[in-house]
Amino acid sequence: MVRAADKVDLLVVGSGAAGSVFAAEASAAGKQVVLLEAGPARTPDDLFSSQLWARRQKWGGAHVEEEGNHRVGHNFNAGWGTGGSTMHHYGVWPRLHENDFQTFTEYGRGLDWPFRYAELRPYYDRIQGAVGLSGDATQERWRPPGDAYPMPPVPVFGQGRLLAAGFARLDMHTAPLPLAINSVPYRGRPACLYDGWCDAGCPIGALGNAQTVFLASALKSGATVRNDATVTRLLTRKDGKRIEGVEYRTADGALHRQYADVVVLAAFTVQNARLLLASANSHHPRGLANSSGLVGRYLMTHPTVSLYGMFDEETQPGFGPTGGQLINQDGYDNKLGVKDAYGSFQWIIANAVKPNGLLGIANSRADIHGSELKPFLQRAVNHLGVMTLVAEDVPRAENRVELSDKRDAFGVPLARAVHNLDEPGAALVAHALQQGKAVLDAAGAREQWRGPQAGMHILGGTVMGVNPAKSVTNSYGQSHDIENLYIAGPGLFPGSGAVNPTFTIHALALRAVEQLLRNWP
Amino acid sequence: MEALQQRRSLLKGLLLAYPLISGALLLSPAQARLRKLPLTVLADEEAGDLESVIEALVPGSAEAGAVHFIDYQLAKPAADSLLMLKYLGVEQPHLTFYRGGLAALAQHSIARFGKRPSALPALKLDHLIADLIADETPGWSGPPASFLYFVWRSDGIDVTYGSEEGMAMLNTPYMAHIRPEQPW
Repeated sequence: MVRAADKVDLLVVGSGAAGSVFAAEASAAGKQVVLLEAGPARTPDDLFSSQLWARRQKWGGAHVEEEGNHRVGHNFNAGWGTGGSTMHHYGVWPRLHENDFQTFTEYGRGLDWPFRYAELRPYYDRIQGAVGLSGDATQERWRPPGDAYPMPPVPVFGQGRLLAAGFARLDMHTAPLPLAINSVPYRGRPACLYDGWCDAGCPIGALGNAQTVFLASALKSGATVRNDATVTRLLTRKDGKRIEGVEYRTADGALHRQYADVVVLAAFTVQNARLLLASANSHHPRGLANSSGLVGRYLMTHPTVSLYGMFDEETQPGFGPTGGQLINQDGYDNKLGVKDAYGSFQWIIANAVKPNGLLGIANSRADIHGSELKPFLQRAVNHLGVMTLVAEDVPRAENRVELSDKRDAFGVPLARAVHNLDEPGAALVAHALQQGKAVLDAAGAREQWRGPQAGMHILGGTVMGVNPAKSVTNSYGQSHDIENLYIAGPGLFPGSGAVNPTFTIHALALRAVEQLLRNWP
Repeated sequence: MEALQQRRSLLKGLLLAYPLISGALLLSPAQARLRKLPLTVLADEEAGDLESVIEALVPGSAEAGAVHFIDYQLAKPAADSLLMLKYLGVEQPHLTFYRGGLAALAQHSIARFGKRPSALPALKLDHLIADLIADETPGWSGPPASFLYFVWRSDGIDVTYGSEEGMAMLNTPYMAHIRPEQPW
């Protein structure tokens, strides 16, 4: 039995960064908005300061198969519950640079975005004002044009001071990390306590995420969130030219249909592509929005490695934001600066770390066990310094999301995410790690080591562009094939840059929803 | 600031909830182990082997109740699990992973030392762990041995050092925004 609900104006699949912006703006404009969220209902009161309980914020839906020499790490990057991935994100919000937007034209690599930085700048500035960013734009010598941050930077603790000195001794620069974290009370939200529990979710609302800003705004304007609602298929009109709505399953297994004038798919990179491919029908035999054959293609992730140093000095590694205290992007604007490599990279410096957890102190030295473990931890909780590399990934069509032969509990094919890092990408990481080692030496680290290489953030798979034969959507995330279907989130990115994507996701969503409201299809 | 202090002191009951005829018995993993409460999904031999290996990897984890914690999490709905395995890309159910790993471990231990891990003296247990780390496990039929080492070591660290008491043992402040009444 199918339960059908009344048609609404706007149906948003996913309640995270992108979906919440669409919902907030559309509901404020008087549209009736429903958000379908696969994960459970959560509020800040459900967030506990614990690395164990933090895992509830991570993906809890259908299994994602992964292949390749550099996997995207879906379950670590994806969120679960109201607010999506923003509920465990660290709030590191640098902007893309001007040279990130036309990489094919300027470097012959990757894909061009359908616009340049100047087009996105006003949306960055407006999002920055709404969410509240802390930082010091004057110290970010590499920062593209933009308004000053509305809040001063977060404080720098012991490890940040030591690592900054290491950069300085190599004539490199650091600046306060731009963070969506309140350094002072801002728009009714309190200032951060610097207790280092960001990835467990911020229960006091100092960290800007969907629940504290745009989703809260949407709910005030009358939008509705339905939790435990797993979308299984997008429905098209009989002629295939418009989206009618979606089918979804609730926790009791019941099948529902929700109809809408406009559907926004904002279920994060892998699930967006999976749903489009799994919704194939006679009019769209390769999947919805897929006349280009590019749905799922150009999957990207930022290669990341954390470097660790043990210092004689007290470093206070448990204090401050999990995302870090400082940033370095000295070589960012020269993507051809390293022999045999291509791309930009940045360092985010002085991440707060706790003893346990995947990114915790103990797992930074997974080789230590038995009687040596406790003495190592006792030393490290007072003397560790951490800095994390974020490197660019070049979009390549062979890196992809595709459908598996296996199906989930609702009969929908699982997603398989295939991602390999090419040689220039690997060379970039190798170069950056040499630089990082030199920084730790210069900072006075008595010992140093590196963590494993992994994927940070997941991007691409539904890339936007000008040419319908070479992209899935236009510059607003509107499907080239189906005018009342919008796609939102980092899956739209035609290039990864080397910065954390959440700020850009918000800016793109704001630009898109304003276009949608001006041109309601 | 006063409201903030109130939030800091707000207690949350984060416990293993063992069902009783009426209500539930709320215990920490250490308390559950001390009371020898029955495990839900792991068999006795599996539990014995797992406790021996995790204790060797993370001293103190047996007393902290690592096996009761793991057993409890494995019995939960997959989306609610607090095990680190949740975000390491291993397909559910995770009991299959643990059970397959423990079977392979026991088989290797018996083939090499003539005894299950739970019956090995400390020195031979160290050799067994060295085999796991190096993936020197001929005929191994479970999840990769070195990956099991990583997961079990992480589980032990979670239970031993991922709580206020655990961090106190390291002489570092926990600094909870929302302090767990008990760690689990």
